Parts: sequence; C-alpha cells; structure tokens
Amino acid sequence: MDATERRNRAAGEAADWFARLQAGDMERAEREQFVEWLRESHVHVAEMLRVAQIHGALERFQRWVHISTGPKTDADNVVQLHSPQDAHLTERLSPRHTRRKGAGLRVFAVAATVLLIVASILVLPLFRGQVIETDRGERREVVLADGSLLQVDPETRLRVKYSDSVRRVFLERGRALFHVAKNPSRPFLVQADDTTVRAVGTAFGVEQLLQGVIVTVAEGKVAVFPTSRAATAAVQNADVPRPEGPDNPDDIHGPGAGTRAHSGDEASPAISSSGKVVQGSNRPATQIHAAGEVLLTANQQVMVQSSGLAEAVREIDSQRALAWARGRLIFQNDQLGQAIAEFNRYNHVQLTVTDPELAAKPVSGVFNAAEPEAFIAFLQSVTDIEIVRDGDRSITIGSVRHR
Amino acid sequence: MISADAKRRLTDWFHQWRTPLRRFLVGRAGVRAADVEDVAQEVFLRLMRYEKGELVDHPQAYLYKVAANVATEWSIRARNRLPHDQKWLAYLIDREQPESQLVRSQSEDEIERALNTLTPYQREVLKLYFVEQKSYAEISVQLGESVRSVTRQFRKSYDKLRRELDPEVLGAMTHGRD
Repeated sequence: MDATERRNRAAGEAADWFARLQAGDMERAEREQFVEWLRESHVHVAEMLRVAQIHGALERFQRWVHISTGPKTDADNVVQLHSPQDAHLTERLSPRHTRRKGAGLRVFAVAATVLLIVASILVLPLFRGQVIETDRGERREVVLADGSLLQVDPETRLRVKYSDSVRRVFLERGRALFHVAKNPSRPFLVQADDTTVRAVGTAFGVEQLLQGVIVTVAEGKVAVFPTSRAATAAVQNADVPRPEGPDNPDDIHGPGAGTRAHSGDEASPAISSSGKVVQGSNRPATQIHAAGEVLLTANQQVMVQSSGLAEAVREIDSQRALAWARGRLIFQNDQLGQAIAEFNRYNHVQLTVTDPELAAKPVSGVFNAAEPEAFIAFLQSVTDIEIVRDGDRSITIGSVRHR
Repeated sequence: MISADAKRRLTDWFHQWRTPLRRFLVGRAGVRAADVEDVAQEVFLRLMRYEKGELVDHPQAYLYKVAANVATEWSIRARNRLPHDQKWLAYLIDREQPESQLVRSQSEDEIERALNTLTPYQREVLKLYFVEQKSYAEISVQLGESVRSVTRQFRKSYDKLRRELDPEVLGAMTHGRD
C-alpha cells in the first residue's frame, strides 16, 4: 500500500471514528478499539485532528442558508467498496476488532467480502503481497489475516504473502516483532536477506541491519536457515511442519568448527543443530549450510552475517533485546553516534554530533525512543556538551570548547 | 452513553485545544499543512506513553488535550525564538485584518463548493446538526432513520469533505476568525 492509499484509508477511518464519537453511544470496547487505532500511527492522529478541523470549519460556516438539501436517494445507500472503514477491510486487517452490530451493515459487509474475494481471485496471479511500510518516526501494529500481530519499527518495509499452505513475510528493510498465531499446518516464514526464520506459533523479532540479520526469540521456538533452502523447504514441507532436529547433524558446525572468531564479550552457548545447548568456550561462528538450520528458543538470539555465517547463539534477555518494539531504546556501552542514529529513526527532530571524539563516547541506559530531549538532558547531566537548536527539527550536539 | 459531565468536559477540552492550535497555526501561514503533521507526530508519541486503560474513558478528550499541550508548547517555543513574529501574530489574532477577511470569504466559497459535492441528503443531515443543533439521535428520529445510518451519513460527509478541501484553506477556515 503506498503512502497516498494509506493516507486515504486513515482519512476514512478517522471520519468514521469521529462520527461514531459524535453519535455519543460508544461502548467501552469500541473506545478501546479507537484508542488502539489512534496509537497505531501518527497518520491516524493527524487525520483525526483534520476531521476535527473540518468539524470546526462547519461550525463556523456562515452560509448554511445557501446550502440546498434534499431527500434520501439510492446514492445515499451505496456503500463504497474502497471506503476504508467498511467492515470487510477492518476484518481483514484486524480480526481482533469485533464485528459491528447492525444487520444492515453486516449484509453490506458480506456482500463486500464476497466482492473482495472475487476481486482477489481475479488479481491473484499479479498480487505481490500486502506491503506494510513505515516512515521515519512511525511505528505501527498490524494484525494480519490469520491473527498474527506485527509490531513494525520505523523505516521498515515488509511484504506479506499468504497462501493456503504457508504464511510468508519478506522483511525488505528495518525490523519487526512477530507474534505468530499458532497454526501447525501453515508455517510462518520470515525472509530477510538470505536468511529465513520459520515459526509455528511464537513471538520473535527480526532485524535487518547492514551487517546482517538478527533474530531474537521471546516465546516458543523458531528455526533459522538460509533462504535458498527455505524456498524449497516451504514447498516441500508446506503441509507438514518440519520435525525439530536435524536430518544431517554435520550441517551445522559445532564448537570449534567455525572459522571466524566471535567478537562478543559474554560467554554464551552455541546451539547445535540437534537443538541441544552446546557450551562453546571459544564461541565459534556457525556456517549455515544448505540443509542446516539454527534452532532458537526463548531468550536466545542469533546474528546471521551478510556472508551467511551465523554467529554463535547468544543467551539474552528478550525483554531487553526486543525493547525497541515497545518504543524503548537500550544502550550498553554503545557509541553516542550510534545511539543518536537510533533516536533519529524514531523522531522528526534530528540530532547530530559534530565532534567525532564525542560521537565515539560510550553511552549506557534505557530511554524512551520518543523523547530525544530526555536523552539530551541525560547527556548534559553526565558530560559537558553544547546544544545548538536550529528550528524545531534539528539539534546539534557539540563539545564544549574550553578557552 | 457518555454522561453529561463527561460530554461537557470533552467540549471544554475541545475548545481549549482549538485556541492554542489556531494561534500556533495562524502564525505560520505558509506551512500549515506540514505543521498539523508535526503536531500529530508529537501527539502520537505522547499518546503512546499513556496506559491504554487511562485513555479509554475519554479518548477524544485526551487527544485534544494532548494536542492542545503540544500546540501551546510549540507556540511558546516559537515566541521565544522569534519575538517579532509573535508581535505580528498577536496583531493578526487581535484584529480582523482585511486580508484575513478576504481569506475568510475565499474559505466560505471553498467550503460551500465542497458541501455541494455531497448528496442533498447528506447536506440535510449536516444542516440539522450544524444549523438546528440537533443531536444524532434527534436527527435520526426526525428523518425516521437509525442512529447508525445517520452516523454513516456523517462519516461519508466528513470523508468526502476531507478529500475535497485543501488542508491549507481548511486551516484558514478553522482559524481565520475569533
């Protein structure tokens, strides 16, 4: 979905919410839905404010006497198919949203759904999947048709392609947390770069970075393997979930077998392809071979480098490692320059550091991604810095020059 | 049903919100559309900080309240940075300048044009609300419709007007008077 389409849909949804709120008979469950919707995107907030603007303009409008009126006609009964808040779209995108009551609407919804199904059958061969894209400073939660929930970080692009036998998501850039609805007969595959993650019902994060792909598991189990294999495996094993464990134990090299030393600083076990935790003293990298896979369980993380080399599985606190999905940024001796780049992804206000020495300084702490000002206040409290503001959008952090 | 008290509070907040937002927007004539986006961005991030349960009771009121806060803060910041602009802004708000009357009249034309793209029945529904000050429930009784169907007419009207109206003009319309 492109930006205009998304904007139009948000505009229609805002109009619907505004009218329903004005009608004044909203139940708690509906208000909850409204809050959820509002917090899905800043575009929703903007559109809601715009409808309020229109409402305000109509209140101030002085030429109502010139406005002619008339009785209801057939045109007033038409429910536009593309109109965003029609039930079929809501249901497709958000199964958790309760069906609105009202027989009339339900009939329309059914009719619309039938039309939509017909339409999708017709265009299916051309259909490249639903695209979910977020801008800088925008986070979204999206519920997919099967009930799986995606928490999408800023500057992320995903393509969702579901078939009867397999659910596929292509993470083209950025990162997302996946809460996968359980369905053993329909595996959930996330493909990022040359790496594929397979889950049945679980929660895990996938981050596409310059240096590779990071997979972090919060709940359940996932398998990480090269995409080349995923393409065939998905087809072959579409109806049967792959048994956990190896077909070929040699495919994933155990400790010591890797050629690349791991640069991490904490001792962490590697996982062998049999799923058993193997304590590795020298923390080797793991080559994922054509038929191999790395199995991860809760609170484990693996980084697959762009070269296809998987680093050793790390034991992590998934709450912390996936804090980005909750709008928290956690730094642990990260360079200030990197920390600032993170903040900039979440905000319209852009920070810059001019001094390379300052940019290299380590930063630790937990911060709200939405509050760059709090981060600056923190920096000011721990080190001498000079803040220069240029408009509302730009803040430059420099070293204090001692004379 | 929202209690009368809650409704009053909501209305109060709505008005509280409108004034600072208007002041803020009027002062930056050239970039109004972009500013609403920025305000919305900040409002969005602040809404994320509330517990959901807190928002659910009066979501709309929270929205306007937060938007009001953001707009006020921004106008204060703008004032501190650009004192001359502020003087000009105060002038613009205090008096009805000839230009703003011109803008106002153009806005009236624009909204009249946009209203005429609605169906006659939608205009009827809107008139009952904005001119005769009837509630949705009262309108539904008068027209022999369900409240839901009346709500749908409002939704379609707002949606259509949103598409028809240029956001820049809309800013002038909402904020050009007082």
